[in-house]
Amino acid sequence: MRFQPIPIQEGIAKPPAYKIMTAKEAITKFVQEDCYLGMTVSAAPASLIWEMVRQRDRIKTLDLVITSQIGMSSVLIGSGLVRKLEMGYNWGGIEGEDKVFRRAVEKGIPRPLEVEEYSNYGAAMRWLAASMNLDSIGTKSQLGSDIVKYNPKIKVIDDPYTGSPVSMVPASRPDVAIIHAARADEIGNVQCLGLYGNTDTLARAAKHVIVSVEEIITSAEIRRMPNLTTIPYYYVDAIVHSPFGAHWRESTYYYHHDLPYGLDVYRQFATQEGYEAWADKYVHGTKDWNEYCQLVGYDRLNRLRLSENKYQKFGEVR
Amino acid sequence: MSNYTKDYSMPELMAVTVAREIRDGELAFIGVGMPLMAATVAKFTHAPNFNMMVEYGAVGPAPLRLQMCVNCAVNNERAYFAGSQREVMGAQQSGFVDVACISGAQIDKYGNLNSTCIGDYHHPKVRLAGSGGANDLASSASRTVIMMRQDGRNFVNQVDYLTSPGHLGGPGERAKAGLVGGGPAAVVTTMGVYRFDDETREMYLEKIHPGVDLEKLKAAVQWDLAISPDLVLTELPTEEQVMVMRTLDPLAVYLGTGRQTLSGDFEAFMKMFEDSYQPMVQLMRSKGMM
Repeated sequence: MRFQPIPIQEGIAKPPAYKIMTAKEAITKFVQEDCYLGMTVSAAPASLIWEMVRQRDRIKTLDLVITSQIGMSSVLIGSGLVRKLEMGYNWGGIEGEDKVFRRAVEKGIPRPLEVEEYSNYGAAMRWLAASMNLDSIGTKSQLGSDIVKYNPKIKVIDDPYTGSPVSMVPASRPDVAIIHAARADEIGNVQCLGLYGNTDTLARAAKHVIVSVEEIITSAEIRRMPNLTTIPYYYVDAIVHSPFGAHWRESTYYYHHDLPYGLDVYRQFATQEGYEAWADKYVHGTKDWNEYCQLVGYDRLNRLRLSENKYQKFGEVR
Repeated sequence: MSNYTKDYSMPELMAVTVAREIRDGELAFIGVGMPLMAATVAKFTHAPNFNMMVEYGAVGPAPLRLQMCVNCAVNNERAYFAGSQREVMGAQQSGFVDVACISGAQIDKYGNLNSTCIGDYHHPKVRLAGSGGANDLASSASRTVIMMRQDGRNFVNQVDYLTSPGHLGGPGERAKAGLVGGGPAAVVTTMGVYRFDDETREMYLEKIHPGVDLEKLKAAVQWDLAISPDLVLTELPTEEQVMVMRTLDPLAVYLGTGRQTLSGDFEAFMKMFEDSYQPMVQLMRSKGMM
């Protein structure tokens, strides 16, 4: 028998209720103007990012918090949605120099971008603190560097017990977290397969959590391997079914990084006009993720899936 | 017994030189790119028991294909551990990481690195990526190996922004700041190999690459560079070391022009995976790794 959701009182915990919706429904419902938005890097929630860019006239302004982003944040920054970026790192990775980020910081195009900077671990610890309902947390990173000098939010103090220096970072509690993961059931138990960076702490730090997944599976399948559950249902507001939902990036066991596409996108991002032309075609020119995938080509996407599975498939050593 | 080769590129020489800084049995924190090539060379030649740790939560991957990024699915392939970044970052802050390979756009004589901006922080001439894990590794790894291009302008008296701490202002300063790691042990550039004096903590030239002119090298350093009285030429790559790099990265994505080749060319990309699978399997089997 299919799981029957029951009405449950509003509280901090999200109910074990049916949470599947479209990207459009989830973004419309949870992402409002001036939203403080958290985003993971592994894997990239591309289908949710694209939907926010489609709705940029409604959303207008976001303050974005990341740890390290490789590539995908430039889609948001280039759209003119991002007013502030709290980060440890923002660049193109193997795709190279992030010209979108550079334009925003150096020239204020398409809008000025305020940057609040941490080390990668320092940035990640902020979600860890929030996940434990602490207001701050300490790390031995950042000490002696200009990261501390230029970010007044980082406080170097003497540990109250040992007296040794520690750099304190403030908790980060995003209004909304957008996450991409391998699979989830319809009440929002999310399982990551493979390395998942800071996905777990971001989900626990944010007030609302939207997760796009490659596959929707049954709760019985979740219960079969509960130690794979990275995010239990009570943190999660919405599950969006987005196969290939991290393209042009990768999803472990599902498909490989589409490097030729990413390199070509980054070539186009060299100018703001190039960004707009790409976004007009691939984001505004498609009504949802399925149409985007059709435009890229399911044949191509399936070849990326086969390529990944030649080297690794869940539960199999190749 | 080593068969040295003269058929190598400068990036390959740098990767091999960094590989020689890694000892067998060590745990190394490796970023993707040239450090990854160095790690792969080490693993397949002199350090089979060395394992790498990758920033987004993988330990000991042994993939048969090229890793694309620190958060890439390939880091999961045949790994000992895959999970959270907290695991690998916590381990490195606790001192489990023997050696980490980092980079920067500018460096000073104490090995302090800048990867944040050129010019004033608030009005940068060039905005760069930011710290990422570089500051964390520079803070806590037992030792770091720095790998960077030396372009004549980036060995500076003072970095525009101190992203990743080297020996800060000299002897004792790391401990005073509360840093737990040992700091930089070596700097490998396009011109030579540098180390740090035990007493002054200042950088000195230990080796010079074949074909590099010493006067030009000195001119590419803003401060009065100390030079080892035992200055030697950098050891050449061996045939085997070069073979390992070219097997894993046949299009020279990391050590050449592969990215230009692949931009927009999906078929070339698919072919790269097809072509490198069997040679990688053979290489792994010949080393008893699978």
